[in-house]
Amino acid sequence: MRVFDRRYEMMPRPQMEQLQLERLQALLVRLKRNVRRYREQIGDKQVESLEEITSLPFTTLDDMAESFPYGMFSLPLREVIRLHSTLGPKGTPLIIGHSQNDLTHWGRLVARQFVASGVTPNDVIQICLGGGSYRGGAGYVLGAELIEASVIAEEPFHIDYQLAMLQNYRPTMLITTPTDAKQLARTIAERRLDPQSLHLRTLLLSRPVNEESRGHLEAGLMVKVQSSFGIEEVLNPGLCVECESGNFHVNEDQFLVETANRELVITTLCREAMPLLRYRTGVACTLNRAKCPCGRTGILLTPGERMDGRLLVRETPLYQEQIHDVLSRSPMAGQPFSIEIQEQRIIVEVEISSQLFSDMIWGMEKMRSEIESSFLFRLGVNAEVRFSAPGKGENPLN
Amino acid sequence: MLLQVKNLQCGYGALEVVHGVSLHVCTGEIVGLLGANGAGKSSLLKAMVGLLTPWHGRIWINSRLSGWAPAWRSVSNSVVLVPEGRQIFSDMTVRENLIMGGYHNPDRKSDIDIILDRFPKLRERIGQVAGTLSGGEQQMLALGRALMARPKLLLLDEPSMGLAPLMVEEVFAEILKLRDAGVTILLVEQNATATLQIADRAYVMETGRIILEGEAADLLQNPEVKRAYLGKSYKEVWE
Repeated sequence: MRVFDRRYEMMPRPQMEQLQLERLQALLVRLKRNVRRYREQIGDKQVESLEEITSLPFTTLDDMAESFPYGMFSLPLREVIRLHSTLGPKGTPLIIGHSQNDLTHWGRLVARQFVASGVTPNDVIQICLGGGSYRGGAGYVLGAELIEASVIAEEPFHIDYQLAMLQNYRPTMLITTPTDAKQLARTIAERRLDPQSLHLRTLLLSRPVNEESRGHLEAGLMVKVQSSFGIEEVLNPGLCVECESGNFHVNEDQFLVETANRELVITTLCREAMPLLRYRTGVACTLNRAKCPCGRTGILLTPGERMDGRLLVRETPLYQEQIHDVLSRSPMAGQPFSIEIQEQRIIVEVEISSQLFSDMIWGMEKMRSEIESSFLFRLGVNAEVRFSAPGKGENPLN
Repeated sequence: MLLQVKNLQCGYGALEVVHGVSLHVCTGEIVGLLGANGAGKSSLLKAMVGLLTPWHGRIWINSRLSGWAPAWRSVSNSVVLVPEGRQIFSDMTVRENLIMGGYHNPDRKSDIDIILDRFPKLRERIGQVAGTLSGGEQQMLALGRALMARPKLLLLDEPSMGLAPLMVEEVFAEILKLRDAGVTILLVEQNATATLQIADRAYVMETGRIILEGEAADLLQNPEVKRAYLGKSYKEVWE
């Protein structure tokens, strides 16, 4: 078994707690000095033990949205050398900043996952996360470069091209989304291709899937399947390492994790550009300190469902408010609607009033097509709009 | 962990100068403690060895709670301080200084030879009054005197202070050799770049608090280190 950063990944518990306390105390000093929001919230509070962190205030997605764009930054903007955006509450944008050291740390954290996945400098890694997931891809590139594995930084736009790349470039690891991985496995099965003719050994998924899906992918692609788990606003990938035993170990030298009413709460101990104190992630999880056969000492995290109503359509995060917003800018504004999430698309069923109804089919089709285009254009998701008779349902936002 | 400090507070009279500092040093490490003048670095070291009574907090040496022991106990615990400004006994000879350093060491006479092998210049000056040595030689003597106590943890307070650049290089090279010989070192310095080049990890102090901890190589790239030295707040730099 290989470990990238033995000192931190296998650090004895007492030493890790000492390190976390030191980093937490230093973080509080920096936050009080550099971030007005925290200065006002923390005041003169100090912590003398890790348990006392519960006396400190939470940070929420709303706090981050209110501080948009740069209010949460702890460094002057000129020292923030990478800016990524992510989805805030109700679909508003958020900016996540990284300093030079943040990127260095990010690369090391992702390299921990790669080494746990058996990647060596002889491996070729294809990163294929879809156009909207550049920020995650950037982390994987940093990690791969650190362990000197080759990276295919080309994004195939069609499944045929993807297959050709797997056959020609012979990547040994594919990093992709569960949706794309399933499609790949389906295509290989439909075309009766031999997955063993590819050189793939490992499939690293951008998010965890259930055991059934994992089994299908392992059988369909004849690979070992591992997953990343991260939080976009904090770090994704890089929050955890999925070890050889299939457990997610939190990188505790960098992140202090706790739960509040089942919700994962994270404090970033080393982030320079945009440190977060007790950030409520909106994701349910369980934490436990069971001993893992892999020898890593990081706390075990089992991720659960999202608790904040965020949906995922073809790996694109989405809030119901965004759907409402698209509809409100169409002739269907104010009409009750219901949604059904499918793997590749979203089905929006809108009740149509008698005033909007027309017996001219082309008129209704044109309206439907315009709304579907708006979903794709504004939210980046494929939507199928269906019209239904009034009185069938209620607007989920009312 | 060879040294573990939690929430240490100390000061002089009614003035608190160290406000709840936590740090640790593992066996075999060189750990830097950086900061501008008045940041509280030397006071922290003095509290660690018992020259200053801590007001609050705990210190463990080799996993044993030190219980705010007096300074002589710290030497028995193999923790030795090389104080700021060398503080050698200037009216004594080099040999006498070394013997004083090995006060607790029953093999001090034979250990002198080991120290003189490490610092050949001291052998040349063995009978000379210490106050007549050059700054660099005095620093070597201070180091040699500390080594006579056979320390496991050496606390070095500003060893480069007042030395010419060439001598600074020589002193830092000696520190590296000491680490290779198995001595763990906590190095308090204002010379941040030189310290971060030889240290494994470092802490940066500002007005009695630690504001940064990390791998030395990372801190070299960190603009906050510069700000801690210049004493400029984020806002001043930002605006």
